[in-house]
Amino acid sequence: MSGDRIRGAFAGLAVGDAAGWPAGRHRSALHAPWSRRLYRELDAFAEEHRVTTLPVPFALNQPVAPLRIGPSDDAEWLAWTALTVHRPRAEAFRELTDVRARISVATALDNLAKGVEPPASGHDNPHHFDDAAAIRAVAYGVIGRDPTEDAQVTNALDGVLGARAMAAAVAAAVASGRIGPAIEAALAVLPPGTAIGHNARAALEAARAAGDPFAAVPALDAALLDHVYSYGVGAAQTVPVALALAEAAGGELSRAVPAAACLAPVADSAPALTGALAGACGGFDAIPEGWIASARTLAGCCLPDLAGRDLIEVADTLTEGIA
Amino acid sequence: MTDRSQLRDRARGCLLGLAAGDALGAPAENLTPAEIRRRWGRLTEIEGGGTDDTEYAIFAASLLVRHGHGLTSHDVEQAYREEIVPLATGPMRGAGFSELGTVEALRRGLEPPLTGLAHQHGWSDGLAMRAAPYGIFCPGDPAEAARLLEQDGRVSGSGEGIAGGRAVAGAVAAAMAGAEPRDVVQAALSVIPADSWTARNVVRVCEVLAAGGPRGRGAEAVEALHEAVVVRHYPWTDVAPEAVALALAAFLAGDGDVEESVTFGVSLGRDADTIGAIAGAVAGASQGEAGVPARWAARIGPVTGKCLPVVAGRHVLDTAEQLVEGL
Repeated sequence: MSGDRIRGAFAGLAVGDAAGWPAGRHRSALHAPWSRRLYRELDAFAEEHRVTTLPVPFALNQPVAPLRIGPSDDAEWLAWTALTVHRPRAEAFRELTDVRARISVATALDNLAKGVEPPASGHDNPHHFDDAAAIRAVAYGVIGRDPTEDAQVTNALDGVLGARAMAAAVAAAVASGRIGPAIEAALAVLPPGTAIGHNARAALEAARAAGDPFAAVPALDAALLDHVYSYGVGAAQTVPVALALAEAAGGELSRAVPAAACLAPVADSAPALTGALAGACGGFDAIPEGWIASARTLAGCCLPDLAGRDLIEVADTLTEGIA
Repeated sequence: MTDRSQLRDRARGCLLGLAAGDALGAPAENLTPAEIRRRWGRLTEIEGGGTDDTEYAIFAASLLVRHGHGLTSHDVEQAYREEIVPLATGPMRGAGFSELGTVEALRRGLEPPLTGLAHQHGWSDGLAMRAAPYGIFCPGDPAEAARLLEQDGRVSGSGEGIAGGRAVAGAVAAAMAGAEPRDVVQAALSVIPADSWTARNVVRVCEVLAAGGPRGRGAEAVEALHEAVVVRHYPWTDVAPEAVALALAAFLAGDGDVEESVTFGVSLGRDADTIGAIAGAVAGASQGEAGVPARWAARIGPVTGKCLPVVAGRHVLDTAEQLVEGL
């Protein structure tokens, strides 16, 4: 049974990743650079001509497959983590070349190349607070391992706490199939005096008061998102959103993920984290078949070597001997 | 000069240097060193007014004038609530992410230190850019300057932002007592954790300059300093560990001379106005008012309050006088 929930965590993350609007932007990296330049020009055109008809990612003389609903950066980084989970972390990261990644990871790779080792590689890093490690921590959570060594390569402080919270929550969800123990496990590793610890409690309170994941969307926006900073992948925002919406949905992915995708500023990763938690609670079989079919095959938009890989088969490599 | 008149002279030099560096660097902000060289060769003449650096430094000084060594984070929080938040209704010009994020955190009812932790720009150089008054207020006592600065810092910053601010406050405190440039930088390092990004970057730039020799102030030194501390894959340049290290490097490269330090600092690009302001403040405290080129000092008038309306009409020299009166 835990094998089904491990698959559920992986598939849930990929479904959430695919459901957020930024997935199309990430996947369009598979197109020729000029098609993305056209996209930027159309954005400028809309601004100049005051038209509200906004450009969406499009294929002009390009294959349309990358723009169909599908997984993007987060599913690929989760797969990479699962495939390298038994390797020393800095060594595994050092082997990465020609990849697209979050600012924290890109800076960490630069640091490693300059001889700056973990934990400084993740600490001397302007995006030490982002949720790159929290995404990867899902792989650690399903096998009940501490993600800290991995997290410290690319992140520090709230970024590492986010990874610990996700791993703890996923581990509890895989073990119990219930969201309650998952939330408790996450809160236990999030000190209230940190931004992520404060926000996790504020988010849970806001969502409980709203009573329903979709109803909680405006309350979460007001409680967590200051709309000041340019990149919405802060672990102190996305992990609390995931905890609060997964709880409000009673661990049901089909209720939690759509609500997370409605929070546009954090739609890059909050739906993926939400999907991982809910998927771990409800298991693989509870996820709508059509979504799994769309989300399981990796595109290679960040890690080209993973193009065409089946994420569920990757998850199964972790469960050999468990299920 | 008596001790007191010397402190007054250094305080005036410090804040004039800060305002001049801010104004000189403003047009070079976010340009590459190569683009700066293409446009100006060496940028040596002030083109327009200063920015947030000068206005926030005046605001920080007003906190010290009111509360002295008893200043607490609560006092700073109250000042934000009364003097900044109510006026931040329209565009908050010149404010960085950390100031805006703090205003939003205060509006959500948070208190320090969460107001500095809850937004994502805790490492902003917004604290370092306004740290000089704390050094002026604690001549020869870097530790006390850093302690007071942190009372301010906990409201709007965290982690490396506070470390960067502490380093600048400590450096100015040492320069106010006439320390040699190398000892000024040591004073900065003495008030921050060795295991910090800021400390590692300051050590790195010192190594780069030592390797480059005494004449290492040209394009090669600029490139080596960038290679040592600039974050390549990040579009924002107001990262305190980077800006503070580059500003202290400029101060060392200029051997404490105000014009040399500031023009070299501005030639580095990135957050050039803040780098210029920090280098100018430290060098100005080191050299006194006469060290600031007269043609620069002549361009420094009362601030307009375009970034921080509450300080409109104030002049850095009046601020320096008020700080010295409190010594």
